[in-house]
Amino acid sequence: MTQRTVLTAVFLFIIGIGVFPIVTMFVASFVTNGSLSLQSYQGLLSSSREWVLLAHSFALAFLVSVSTTVVGVPLGILFGRTDLPLRRFFTVAFTIPLLIPTYITAVGWADFLGADGFLANTGSAAVAQVAYNLLFNLPGCVFVLFSDFLPIVILLTITSLRSVNPRLEEAGKLVATWSGVLRRVTIPLIVPGISLGTILVFLLTIGEFSVPNFLRYHVFTLESFVQFSAFYNFGTATAAVVPLTLLTFIILLAEWMFLRERFHQVQATSDKTGLPPMELGKFKIWLFVLVALLCFTVMVLPLLVLIVRSFSVSVYAAAIAVAWDSLLRSLLYAVVGASLLAVIGFFMGYLIHQKAMPFWRTADTLTIFLFALPSTVIGLGLISMWNRPWTNFIYGTFAMIILGYLAKYTALTSRITATTLTLIPNSMEEAGQVAGLPWTRRIGSIVMPMAWKGILVSWLVAYIFCLRDLEITMIVYPPGYETLPVRITTLMANSPAELIAALCVLMVCATVLPAVVLWMFFTFNTRARNRETR
Amino acid sequence: MKLVSIESVSKYFNRSRKDPFGKAAVSDFSLDVEEDERVVLLGPSGCGKTTLLRMVAGFLPPDEGRIVIDGNLVAEYGRTLRQPEERNLGMVFQDLALWPHLSVRGNIELGMKAHGISVHDRVLRIREILELVDMADYAHARPSELSGGQQQRVALARALSLRPKLLLMDEPLSSLDVELNIRLRREIMRLQKALGFSLLYITHDLQEALDMGTRVVIMRQGRIDQVGRENEVRQYFKRLALDANEET
Repeated sequence: MTQRTVLTAVFLFIIGIGVFPIVTMFVASFVTNGSLSLQSYQGLLSSSREWVLLAHSFALAFLVSVSTTVVGVPLGILFGRTDLPLRRFFTVAFTIPLLIPTYITAVGWADFLGADGFLANTGSAAVAQVAYNLLFNLPGCVFVLFSDFLPIVILLTITSLRSVNPRLEEAGKLVATWSGVLRRVTIPLIVPGISLGTILVFLLTIGEFSVPNFLRYHVFTLESFVQFSAFYNFGTATAAVVPLTLLTFIILLAEWMFLRERFHQVQATSDKTGLPPMELGKFKIWLFVLVALLCFTVMVLPLLVLIVRSFSVSVYAAAIAVAWDSLLRSLLYAVVGASLLAVIGFFMGYLIHQKAMPFWRTADTLTIFLFALPSTVIGLGLISMWNRPWTNFIYGTFAMIILGYLAKYTALTSRITATTLTLIPNSMEEAGQVAGLPWTRRIGSIVMPMAWKGILVSWLVAYIFCLRDLEITMIVYPPGYETLPVRITTLMANSPAELIAALCVLMVCATVLPAVVLWMFFTFNTRARNRETR
Repeated sequence: MKLVSIESVSKYFNRSRKDPFGKAAVSDFSLDVEEDERVVLLGPSGCGKTTLLRMVAGFLPPDEGRIVIDGNLVAEYGRTLRQPEERNLGMVFQDLALWPHLSVRGNIELGMKAHGISVHDRVLRIREILELVDMADYAHARPSELSGGQQQRVALARALSLRPKLLLMDEPLSSLDVELNIRLRREIMRLQKALGFSLLYITHDLQEALDMGTRVVIMRQGRIDQVGRENEVRQYFKRLALDANEET
């Protein structure tokens, strides 16, 4: 098999599972009772409720993206460039919400501030009422999604800081203090990375419906889901996702036109020898306390509440009895999805990194577009494409869920692979080519063994995102194939809070455990290597 | 007898609709390399030496002109007719490109496997080539466990293991100290005489070029400025120095 065949096949596969369903869905939205019609769109545009929901979505996305940027960038700089104590620990701690489904944080806060929560049972009724009103409204939604998406901005800031050529900072340090260098050299250089983080948070918030749904704040994404699942009004559900698709497209187009090249320029260094970290001096202890408090409030508290609430063997026994089969299904689908995503992502990442085919940029943009697209769009698209009598072998099985994962999350594995491959000099593969190795052999014997750590990380990230996925699965899962996140959501309405808390803790364990195992493996591996070298 | 023939080759980068020619990295370049000859390309950074070598290796197609290796047309006018693996050449890269996950033996063996050489022959040939570069005791070592000079020998052994007619070397000694640099130059010349391959060698160091080359090609801005043997090259640089003095 040649390079051209494999890479073209992978690209066509992504088009087949990502673009075709969306096109099919749009075409279907213009058909009512077998004839061309704009009925679905007319109903949508004439309803004032839809405009209010759209305004809600915008307000939520705007506030979450601004708040995560305002807090996340300074935190990223503190963790990435200063001598703040325990900065590595904080980086990991602030990343945890990214590993768990967004609604789990919301459940944690509801257990703390809700009608039957800790505050209502232990504090004053008036304070509890105010907290309750705030949580189950826009401020609560903003706060929960802020804590869920804060790691994105922090991690992108840290990554951008690591990508800045240290020589540029050293040149600045000769004539200015650290704060001057940060203000005038470093931050202007990482603006593209920060903007990317803000855009990503905005798009993810626009597409989010599990948290607004749980906290009863009505947003536009919820509308298409309700139209589909409650009324089975497929035409209106499809019409409702059009504005979100267009919005995603416009924002990504702007990002592509103004930021992409600049971001790539910043990424072009692997020089790790830079200046020693910036000394915080007398501010060190105050900043440490502030960061620790924020970490506890935003990251630890909601999980702690869930653990305390479910702290009983009988509750966990009940949780396992209720959701054991869903948990096993979740694990199975996540492993299958992650393995396929790692393979497809590897070839897409290779295509993007090597610019191996003329369509490499289209492939890159397409995967990012699908990732940024609200899950409801992908889910409804898959249904409109596969819900036919002769494709029931796909539609009626868990393959629908896997296709949804592949369409949505390929950007993650392809980007991780592309970044890993930048660390491998092209000459490594060229040396294999001169030695007479065909492309498949070069990939198998040189590139993959050298990139195995990156491939493993891409698998883990894919596993986490597949396991925590609710939005796509909720829309496409066939009867009898529900995953744990779906089971938790369906049980929320009429099950004891202790049971839901226990299920959430199980979900967190299932997600975080492989990450811990992998981290331990890497640590032991590195130590063994170091011992060998010595 | 001619082994390599580079005929009026040009290569442009950053071409666009507005600027159809872009920047010429190599411009109307012609050169022949004879069998058993050592040709050195000498010139400052950015003069097109590496681009030219990469075109000969097959990693880049020439935009204009044609390249013939061992009687076979391998590339012409934007088309690669023979891939690098089909050109029967060896190459030592500037960063050596030793595969870090494989042992010294593994680095040499991978290409032999791809060529379908039997296990028995592989063992014999690996031993032979490692003895030639004085690395027989390090067959099981990883590249990271070797010194710079030893890595250099392994890269050389790997490049020569398939007995190529042409060896390309892209500033292979530039990162070594002077003493090791001189010692390895001698070894490369010894190997070239023993194995009888042609050498196309890139450097920006005049002394290295004079030591290594039976013929030196001086490049400037993608073109040949001078071709000659030691005396002609020395004359060229004298003339350059005089011109510079007159200007100042």
